[in-house]
Amino acid sequence: MRMPLLALLAKEPAHGYELKSQLELIFGEAYPAPNIGQIYVTLQRLERDGLVCSQDVVQTTRPNKRVYELTAAGREAVIEWIDKPSEGPRVRDEFFMKLALSPMAGTSDRLGLINRQRRHYLAQLRSLSELAVEVDRRIPKLLIEGAILHLQADLDWLQRCQEDFV
Amino acid sequence: MTGDGERLVLRAAGLTKGFAGDGVAVTAVRGADLALKHGEFVAITGPSGAGKSTLLHMLGGLERPTSGEIWLNGQRVDQLSQARWAVLRRRHIGFVFQFFNLVSNMTVADNVELAAIMGGASRKQAQARREELLGELGLAAKAHAAPARLSGGEQQRVALARAMANRPLLLLADEPTGNLDSGASRVVLGLLNRVHADGQSILLVTHDLRVASAADRVISLFDGMVVDDAPMTTSPHPTSLPDVLKLRG
Amino acid sequence: MHAMLRWIRADLRASSARAIVVAAMAAGVVTALLLSAGLLQGATNPWQGLFTATKGAQIWLHLAPGTSVRSLRSQVGGIEAIAGPYSATAATVATGGQRTRVELRAMVPQLPAIGRPLVESGRWLATGSLTGVVLEDTFAQAIHAGVSSVLELDNVDETASVRVRVVGIAQTADQGFYPDQTPGLIWVLPGLLRQIEPNAGHTEEVVGLRIASPAATGLVVQQVVTQLGSSAVGSVSTWQQVKESMARRDPLLGLLLALFGLMALGAALLAIVNVTSGRVLLQTADLGMLKTLGFTPVQVMTMLCAEHALLAGCGIAAGLIAARLLMPLLLGGVPGVGAAAATVPAGWAAVIVCGTFAAVLLATAAPAWQAGRVRPVAAVRAILPRGHLSRLASIAMAARTPPALVLGARSAFVRRLPAALTIGGLALPMMMITIGLGFWSTLDDVQRHPADIGLAAQVTVSPGPLTAAETLRLIRGDPQVLKTYTCVQAEALVPGETITITTLGMGTSRQPYPFHVVQGHLYRAPEQAVATAALLSTLGLKVGQFVRMWFGGVPVTFRIVGRIIDPQYGGQVLAYGRDTLTDEGAATPIGFYSLILRPGVSPAAAVARLTRASQRRLSVAEVPDPADQLGIVRDAVAVLIAVLAVIGLTSLVTTSLLGYRDQLRDVSVLRAMGLTPVQVRAVLMTRTTVLALIAVVIGTIAGRLVTIDLISAVSRLYGLGSGIGSTPSAGTLTATVALAVGVAAVAGILPFRLPGRLPAVTVLGP
Repeated sequence: MRMPLLALLAKEPAHGYELKSQLELIFGEAYPAPNIGQIYVTLQRLERDGLVCSQDVVQTTRPNKRVYELTAAGREAVIEWIDKPSEGPRVRDEFFMKLALSPMAGTSDRLGLINRQRRHYLAQLRSLSELAVEVDRRIPKLLIEGAILHLQADLDWLQRCQEDFV
Repeated sequence: MTGDGERLVLRAAGLTKGFAGDGVAVTAVRGADLALKHGEFVAITGPSGAGKSTLLHMLGGLERPTSGEIWLNGQRVDQLSQARWAVLRRRHIGFVFQFFNLVSNMTVADNVELAAIMGGASRKQAQARREELLGELGLAAKAHAAPARLSGGEQQRVALARAMANRPLLLLADEPTGNLDSGASRVVLGLLNRVHADGQSILLVTHDLRVASAADRVISLFDGMVVDDAPMTTSPHPTSLPDVLKLRG
Repeated sequence: MHAMLRWIRADLRASSARAIVVAAMAAGVVTALLLSAGLLQGATNPWQGLFTATKGAQIWLHLAPGTSVRSLRSQVGGIEAIAGPYSATAATVATGGQRTRVELRAMVPQLPAIGRPLVESGRWLATGSLTGVVLEDTFAQAIHAGVSSVLELDNVDETASVRVRVVGIAQTADQGFYPDQTPGLIWVLPGLLRQIEPNAGHTEEVVGLRIASPAATGLVVQQVVTQLGSSAVGSVSTWQQVKESMARRDPLLGLLLALFGLMALGAALLAIVNVTSGRVLLQTADLGMLKTLGFTPVQVMTMLCAEHALLAGCGIAAGLIAARLLMPLLLGGVPGVGAAAATVPAGWAAVIVCGTFAAVLLATAAPAWQAGRVRPVAAVRAILPRGHLSRLASIAMAARTPPALVLGARSAFVRRLPAALTIGGLALPMMMITIGLGFWSTLDDVQRHPADIGLAAQVTVSPGPLTAAETLRLIRGDPQVLKTYTCVQAEALVPGETITITTLGMGTSRQPYPFHVVQGHLYRAPEQAVATAALLSTLGLKVGQFVRMWFGGVPVTFRIVGRIIDPQYGGQVLAYGRDTLTDEGAATPIGFYSLILRPGVSPAAAVARLTRASQRRLSVAEVPDPADQLGIVRDAVAVLIAVLAVIGLTSLVTTSLLGYRDQLRDVSVLRAMGLTPVQVRAVLMTRTTVLALIAVVIGTIAGRLVTIDLISAVSRLYGLGSGIGSTPSAGTLTATVALAVGVAAVAGILPFRLPGRLPAVTVLGP
């Protein structure tokens, strides 16, 4: 949560609710919206680390609101984050563990294991496909497409496992 | 069994197909069983060489099984002659292929009308059906073009219209998106979903799992054998979106 | 059914060019065969055509004068119409110092409905000119008379003599050709007949009967004779006799044309098979698709057969029309045949039409059957023919042969059957073209050196009213004449045989006429004779044997000392020194003089000069050049070479079209591999050129091998004996081969109009 908030603040100073609605606007359904408490906790930690600073803005009709702003260290951190290549998604090691260790546990039906996993992935794939049809906005759509492709890769990998074990 | 068979559009039991090629006997399909209910959309998937297309071709009578039984709408058909199969196809089956396979010397309209006429429609009915189908698929303007002048996606839509022209009991599709870009693939898949929603029974062969996941049921073929037959539960969404979507931030 | 029609319509529209080729092939075959059959019929059995053209009568009767035939039609069943009665009388015509018996037949200027003579040249009898007469065609030829010749007609008692002028030459189916059938026939006006033969007791009534059923001829004749009384009937002739006597007059022409017709048929059938099966092969993928749509194998086959039957039907109809239009054009120049004679009997036409139709259907049915049986999936997947580089090709590649050549040659044989069909479809026409060129060059030889076929003399002179001494003086006074031979023509009866032959005393034993001797030697002493191959075979004789003949009761024994070539007199010639007859005491009226002209003198000029010098009293004629008669062969050869060339070209284009789909893919791959557009074009050209080269070489060698034998066989039949055949010159052959191969190369890239500019990706997809 830290870096997205920093990135949003790099554009202009904002208070907690503004950040929450911006996140929702950009990522939409693709991204489970964080609650406001989480956002404030994160912002306080960022301020403690010296990456943002804040000041209260007095409002006449409403309670005062706290507006956060990026510090020079914060700006540097954002640029460093954006420039650094990201790690790829990790292999679903849990299923791999199950596949590898199932004989020890007394169940050697690896084919059943693979099939169950495939059904699960296929169901996910179907949900994502349906979602992709409903979503119009670009950023969320791309995220869903990415998830679908990862799932397809997982399914291909299942096939590879099947070829080896069957 | 027959009572059960009557509710099914298609049932196959123990289908096997061997080829004797270049001195080495190859078995493409070994003892496949499957069933398709009326109005059901079933996808057959598997890696290339798993025998998917051979299985589909046997089910459409394009290839004769080495052994096994096929029941179409309660009638046993695996022993039929080529000519009887031809009659079955023109009345009850529609085919869509990966390479579209439109009759090259006929216009788009002729391709669709030909199938309707083969299915027993009069000339007028065939023309009406053609106009209806091409209109639905957004191809009315291309009715009198030669197939070669159309893009791949358009050709496949014509092929789909042609397959639907005889109001088939069963639509057989062999890698219908295999030769299309992703955009055209989505259009064709959307159309398949639409005809399925109208109650069309579809049996589709594909190696593209995303296409397969649109079906009611996905049959996995591996090395000529059915290894899984998975009903696709309509998953509740979007509330239970899987964790794949969690951004690591 | 409707679906099949729909597909046929779409297919014809989509590949109209190939459809037209199939129809055109059928049309070409039908035209060529009908023309050949017409020529054959006209040349070998002219009766049928003449009978039709003259609306002939099947039975001709010579009746006693005054016999009434009015009641015949009511009393004898089966008579449709009666021609005549015409008054007729026997007379003689003086020609070449000989008196020849003729029949004068009185007819009116208006031609009758039945048995109307067919005027070949000049005009028919006319009221204005009483002394104008019309001669029967073959008789006119025999006495060297033409339009405006003047003849002397005498009655049999020689009490009346009239000078008449020939105003027309006509053909008839009433009687056989002269001299097979004598007497010769002259049509005159009734007034002239009465003038020549005032004695009605010396005339006959000639009546022709046209009957409903030709098969009942014998029965009708019997009834007619019974009805009229046998004493009233002088003679009867039937159509069977006339037909028989007209038959097989010119075996050379007939055989030649039959041969060419058959070969053209063979080549055309190959081409039809090639085109049709090529068409079907190209459609295999579509046909497989139709099967997935629910066409049964039988339906696929029926559909293809119906489509090609339709094409064949259109082609055949066009062929029938074309043959009808071309026949008169082609036959215009044939002497003695005439367009009328060349009517193709309905039976033949039916056989030709049905044969062509059947050929197209068979050519369709075989590949259609295969196409009907092809597994739809295999067709849908559009399997391409596979082939691998042969060892030869690999070696050639390794040896740095240009890759275009190797690849092109290899691709020519990827589809074996079409390759074989192409080679056959090209080799056969090429063989026939070589043979045709052989005939052509033989004709050239004959025309350049007529003496080689026994025609040393260019001009013959008949004395007419002049005496022998006067005639000889006139001839020798002409500076254009090199040599003169006095000749006699005498009928001789061969004992034991019931036939008479015409023999020639040509020159003397000391100064024999320079026949072209191919075996033995010329007559050098009395009682030696030479003969043509045809006569020797008629008499069952060989060179060196003796034969005894009777000349008006005088026996003469000849020793045959040589075999000669002489195309005159139907090739039936026995010749000897005139002194043989004088020695033996046989009567020898001078027949004619054979003149050999000085080199460079044209026969026509000599004829004109002699005729002028004699004030038209001498009858001077050019010796008919058999090569002129064979002019029809030239026409036929030219037409057939053209037809054969078209047939060969069709085979080539089919091959290159058939390869089109296979090749399109290859072209892209080759370009992807780095061949330049020029090299790609070279690959495509090599493909057809290799096939054409093989075919042309096979065809030319085969043609050359059989040409000499074939010409010898034909000329033997014609009585010329062997030895006149010559093969086409090496230059002609080389040019022909080069032309054929060049055309093949162009045909190879014809379907790829822009092979170099095709974007590789468009065709690399499946």
